[in-house]
Amino acid sequence: MLLIENINKSYGKRQVLQNLNLQINFGEIYGLLGPNGAGKTTTINIICNLLKADSGNIKINNQPVSEKTKSIIGVAPQENLLYQGLSCKENLDFFAQIYGLRRKVRQLQVDNCLAAVNLLDRANSTVETLSGGMKRRLNIAVALVHQPKLVILDEPTTGLDIEARYEIWELIRKLRHQGITILLTTHLLDEAERLCQKIGILKNGQIVAEGTLPELQKLIPAKEIVTVQTAEEEKAIARAIELGFIHRHYGNELAFWLPESLELKEIIAAFDGISLASISRQPIKLEHIYLEVTKQGTGD
Amino acid sequence: MKYWRETLAVAQRILIELFRRRRSLIFWSVFPIALLLLNGFIFAERAQQSMAFAFENATPTTLAFENAAPTTLVGAALFFSCLGGTVTTVVAEREQQTLKRLFISPLSGTSYFLGIFVAHCCIGVGQSFLVYAIASFWKAKFQGSLLLGAIIILLSIISYVGVGFVLGTQLARRADDINALVATFGVPLLILGGAFIPSFIFPQFLLNLATFDPIYHMTEALLGVSANGNGLTEISFHFWFLFGFAILMIGAGWLSYRRMLRVERRL
Repeated sequence: MLLIENINKSYGKRQVLQNLNLQINFGEIYGLLGPNGAGKTTTINIICNLLKADSGNIKINNQPVSEKTKSIIGVAPQENLLYQGLSCKENLDFFAQIYGLRRKVRQLQVDNCLAAVNLLDRANSTVETLSGGMKRRLNIAVALVHQPKLVILDEPTTGLDIEARYEIWELIRKLRHQGITILLTTHLLDEAERLCQKIGILKNGQIVAEGTLPELQKLIPAKEIVTVQTAEEEKAIARAIELGFIHRHYGNELAFWLPESLELKEIIAAFDGISLASISRQPIKLEHIYLEVTKQGTGD
Repeated sequence: MKYWRETLAVAQRILIELFRRRRSLIFWSVFPIALLLLNGFIFAERAQQSMAFAFENATPTTLAFENAAPTTLVGAALFFSCLGGTVTTVVAEREQQTLKRLFISPLSGTSYFLGIFVAHCCIGVGQSFLVYAIASFWKAKFQGSLLLGAIIILLSIISYVGVGFVLGTQLARRADDINALVATFGVPLLILGGAFIPSFIFPQFLLNLATFDPIYHMTEALLGVSANGNGLTEISFHFWFLFGFAILMIGAGWLSYRRMLRVERRL
């Protein structure tokens, strides 16, 4: 559905994308993750033909990116880019007209989109009267109104409360079931874990890790991760090195990668003589992989 | 077909928003009426002293309103609605960031320009009817060719929308900038153009200066056709200046939009 091959892009002397390669298959939700400045927005700008890449190829549905491919892409940007003085229906109708939908199809599509984002009962309310979650749903509906084949959702749940977030997640799953291919960028790693079939982590303009969650989990040579709170951190680290555990600092937390699953009493026994205020075990999450590949976790 | 459809969509969207903000709509109506009445009564006072004897069948008030209507319309009403309105439309799109959404869509720059033009044409036509309807209460008549008058009004709207596009895309970044721009460029040009003070009382050096002011040519051209029944030959200098300026502004508006696309076209 989307194929990016060896894309390079520089702003002056600063290279933002370096030989970027990325492939999204039909009907897949692809999560593009990365720290701020990694090149996510530049990638989206190039896909949307708002920026030209310096070199490389990019194809959407087997067509090179051009003004024509704009009609097969739907974009829901980070901000709710909506006309505040128009109603939900009028906003959708305006964009449907811009995308060339004829009157009958347009009316049908507007109603379908309003139903899909649960805004049928607010169809005639102006945008300025909607809650944050409703605006975000309408922002996504605008991206869908012309029935695109590829939808780009740029941080669709940032700033929303948990209830609104669940509604958006449900909507994204529904879209996938309808066969729509989705490129999702997010800083919320649990969001990517829950929704994406494939995840790519971008750093300094390159994909540094890519795959399904189980594939990415293999990047960390551990069965599980133990985090501890202790006043005797140096002693705990020295003991971990003796035992062959790799250690990492995730923010203020000290964590150890366990090469084998151990019982809790075995872990406590391993740190015998060191006072531990708390100890917790957790499976390898996307958060750990992300921190590892972007080198934001510190340790050995 | 694509351009037509997109143009209509943009125009319709601007008009829906305008009609929804009833207060703005009322102000766009009150402004030309108030200005017409003021200009009309000031002219009437002067006409009693100097003009009435020359016209056997017209009262001084009628003459005054026949003179006040065209200057009020093209000199002031259209300036604020079409130029100010265009700047406001572009700046509001930028502030709401909806411009970004338009950049993502297949909307062409031509359609966007035409859409804004059509919407402001509707407002301008509404104001024209309003001004001449009020003037007709004092038995003022449109003396010359209606077609020529309509063309002058249309060229004035094109000019104002073009200038508005240039100012909105290049100079006004935020809504706060609009007032400063209109005050700096607009008001002196309006006064020099004869929108508030009739140009026949200008000293010669101001009249010479006014020949460089497009608003002066708009008011003189429409005044000639509307109040004096002149044809194209009598107003040819003003008409062709206005025509040239309108074409120039279409070009400038188009280039400004292209420049804005280059600079701002990204998410």
